[in-house]
Amino acid sequence: MNAIIVSALLGVVMMFSGIIVKNRSYHTVIAAGGLLLLLLANLLNSYGIWVIKVDTHNMFNFEQFGMYFNTIAIAATLIYVLLSGKAVEKIGSYSADYYALIFFVLCGVSILSAFNSLLILFLGIEILTIPLYILTGADKRNLKSNEASLKYFLMGCFSTGIMLMGVTLIYGGTGSFILGESKVPESALMPKTSFLEIAGMILLFVSMCFKVSAAPFHFWTPDVYDGAPGVFTSFMATIVKAAGFIAFVRLFDQHTELLGPSWKILLSFVIIATLLVGNITAVFQQSVKRMLAYSSIAQAGFMLFSLYGANDLAREGILLYSVAYSLATIGIFAVLIKMKDYTFEGFNGLAKTQPVLALSTAICLLSLAGIPLTAGFFAKYYMLASAVKAGGSLWLVVIAVLFAAVSVYYYFRVIQAMYFKDGEPETEEITGPFKLGLLVVAALVILVGIFPSLVLNWFYF
Amino acid sequence: MSTIEILFFFLSALAVFSAIMVLVSKNPVHSVLWLIAVFFAISGHYVLLNAQFLAIVNLIVYAGAIMVLFLFVIMLMNLNSETEPQKHIWMKLAGVISGGCFLMMLISLVRQAVEMGGRKAMMAEGDTGLIKNLGKVLFSEYVVPFEITSVLFLSAMVGAVVIGKKN
Repeated sequence: MNAIIVSALLGVVMMFSGIIVKNRSYHTVIAAGGLLLLLLANLLNSYGIWVIKVDTHNMFNFEQFGMYFNTIAIAATLIYVLLSGKAVEKIGSYSADYYALIFFVLCGVSILSAFNSLLILFLGIEILTIPLYILTGADKRNLKSNEASLKYFLMGCFSTGIMLMGVTLIYGGTGSFILGESKVPESALMPKTSFLEIAGMILLFVSMCFKVSAAPFHFWTPDVYDGAPGVFTSFMATIVKAAGFIAFVRLFDQHTELLGPSWKILLSFVIIATLLVGNITAVFQQSVKRMLAYSSIAQAGFMLFSLYGANDLAREGILLYSVAYSLATIGIFAVLIKMKDYTFEGFNGLAKTQPVLALSTAICLLSLAGIPLTAGFFAKYYMLASAVKAGGSLWLVVIAVLFAAVSVYYYFRVIQAMYFKDGEPETEEITGPFKLGLLVVAALVILVGIFPSLVLNWFYF
Repeated sequence: MSTIEILFFFLSALAVFSAIMVLVSKNPVHSVLWLIAVFFAISGHYVLLNAQFLAIVNLIVYAGAIMVLFLFVIMLMNLNSETEPQKHIWMKLAGVISGGCFLMMLISLVRQAVEMGGRKAMMAEGDTGLIKNLGKVLFSEYVVPFEITSVLFLSAMVGAVVIGKKN
């Protein structure tokens, strides 16, 4: 609750600071301060101190899992703002409003990590995505950004419509918005679960697949991630995507038995399609930004294993995956924004001119590929282990490992360009604090890779 | 057959017929006009269910504001059959197949939902749709989502200003 209230208030504060403070670099400082405050408020919440206690009529379920995810998301946003704040200032003259929108997105994240009612799920998804439509189109002079924004808006509306239809059907079947509650009196004549509810669940599944860009509902992702300004792509591909998965896991954690055995078949079809589309298409990309867009689809395929497993390992795994994936992607995008040329050739010879940038990018890429000793390895391990523990799906795990091997190819293309090719990469001015920040991110990636229990033990405090 | 039943079947037939006409009419302006007829028919249903508030809001928001917006957009874009983009035959086929699958799912849904057979809508007697009860529920049980909606509107408003203002 603290995170929801404080982030909404901080959004308002950022709006006013845009009027009062004219110097744009102060906006980043204010945003970073606000994020620290938000982090503190959320940590206090997980230790049982509330700003206000409200009777939500069981529409929210503030459990430790959701609050811990909030902590991860807010901390990742803080790292993101510290690393890429300068790039946000450069996009337009409304940096304070962009930060306000980011705070509203965080409000949506904290709603999605605690919802217990389909009504709240709908509100959370909308608060999460509406600011993103604007951030995508923030670069107003760029036609690609405009196109991406409109495309994202239309596809987002479409999937929201499907979600509403699903919510309506479930309400029609159970008479209640609360997850897993039914107000329909049980009797011999009535079947235990209404068929309406099952159809509603399928529609919800489709629309959530849209939101987390799982195949075959992924078509918007490459264009939107490619067209949006790099800084905001970084935010969208990390924190927002992880929040979508948390909502997905919370929604489908308990109710999958409704759908019977066909649920696993449906899900494994989506997982394989997502891994296939993401990995195979990423191989053929020429632009690193577009490659990262496809790789984010591929990573979504791995995150879907947490739905497949649906056990304790899956819950721990999705948290670890959020940390590993967010850290690595924020690091890579921070470097990518500094490059003048987004193609693979643009990275040629970066190791000679900017060794620190090249080293930290390489570590982040290794983590995304899931090489041992980096955070990505344990993240993938937990995902696959949860599927193995759930049983009867070894073939799916084997396929996933094969696709992980494919992903090594396109991540190493960047490393190869940086270390083994000659060229004069053009970068914007690189400052000392930026290098330090990147090194901290890389160090965190390795630290989590060696001691994943650092992240997971926190969960149980 | 009572008057209410006659009205119900008349409005249902009108709604379905108008909805089909929205799809089949070639002229987009005619489509929009038929859509207004659909909204009126649905509002009639709401009145039958004793939900006057919902009926009026449906008319004001959908048939009023949103339809005017639609008409403006269609007139501004000057759509007609010549400017319509040609879709590939495979695209049309894929659309028909996926739409047909969805229709099949909905039909089987209605057929299998046996528990629906025994239930009856409360015609002209239920009082859930009255504005008094709506207000009571909105500010007691649903007050938290109501407040959260304000964050949603605020973010949409900030966004509209950011997008609309000059750089």
